[in-house]
Amino acid sequence: MKFIDKSTIVIDRELSKLDKFTLDFVKILEKYANYVLVSGYVSILLGRARVSEDVDVIIQKIDFSTFQALYKDLKMNNYYCLNAEKDSTIFEYLSDNLAVRFTEKDKTIPNVELKWIRNKFDKLALEKTIDVIIPKGKLKISQLELQIAFKEEILKSPKDIDDANHIKLVAKEYLDDKLIQKYKEMLYGFY
Amino acid sequence: MGFIEENEKERNNFIRKWANYVRTHSDKDWSKQQNLIINSALKSANMTREQFFKMKGETNFVKKR
Repeated sequence: MKFIDKSTIVIDRELSKLDKFTLDFVKILEKYANYVLVSGYVSILLGRARVSEDVDVIIQKIDFSTFQALYKDLKMNNYYCLNAEKDSTIFEYLSDNLAVRFTEKDKTIPNVELKWIRNKFDKLALEKTIDVIIPKGKLKISQLELQIAFKEEILKSPKDIDDANHIKLVAKEYLDDKLIQKYKEMLYGFY
Repeated sequence: MGFIEENEKERNNFIRKWANYVRTHSDKDWSKQQNLIINSALKSANMTREQFFKMKGETNFVKKR
């Protein structure tokens, strides 16, 4: 794992089923919207020894016609939405700030949990991304300092604390501890 | 030491040891081992849409944020 600079990490890893699933999905998604991967999959991509049944993705808000085009493309590539079938219903869920899930036909796991940007922290995650270059493609993840702060300050479950600790250990020379603290202060009392 | 503290200590030890392994071995090496966990778990996971949402506690097939 090579931390090239603040916005690029190269991992010459053997791809897991979860990596391949995520790469295939975002190759379609990025044609229609800016995206960022957040939460558990970020630590898994960076080597954490655990599995996740879902991959959390935040995207910018898109209009209905763009969503229709994205959904059509996904369906043409054998994905379906676990929450609903009609495009207008799925779009309504997103508009109501609900998360919607997509996966490959005849499967439920793994799936992408897709949500729209809804507050300043989602906006920050979408703006300050890191490109993770892996064999067969590139994935955009959220800034590690924000991920750590969010997991330690907001989520706080043992799994999330372990995720944060893993990231802090594998990336320790490259993390800005003051920035983690700043994000924690910003997050305190926000949710 | 109580069960919760003991469990936390064990988890922390594992996280530390594994992260050190990731740092000191090639990406191909650690990812090959990581994939044994990921791929086998995903291979054995087989549930219906209803079972999945029940497991996630997401009522009416949607997740409130």
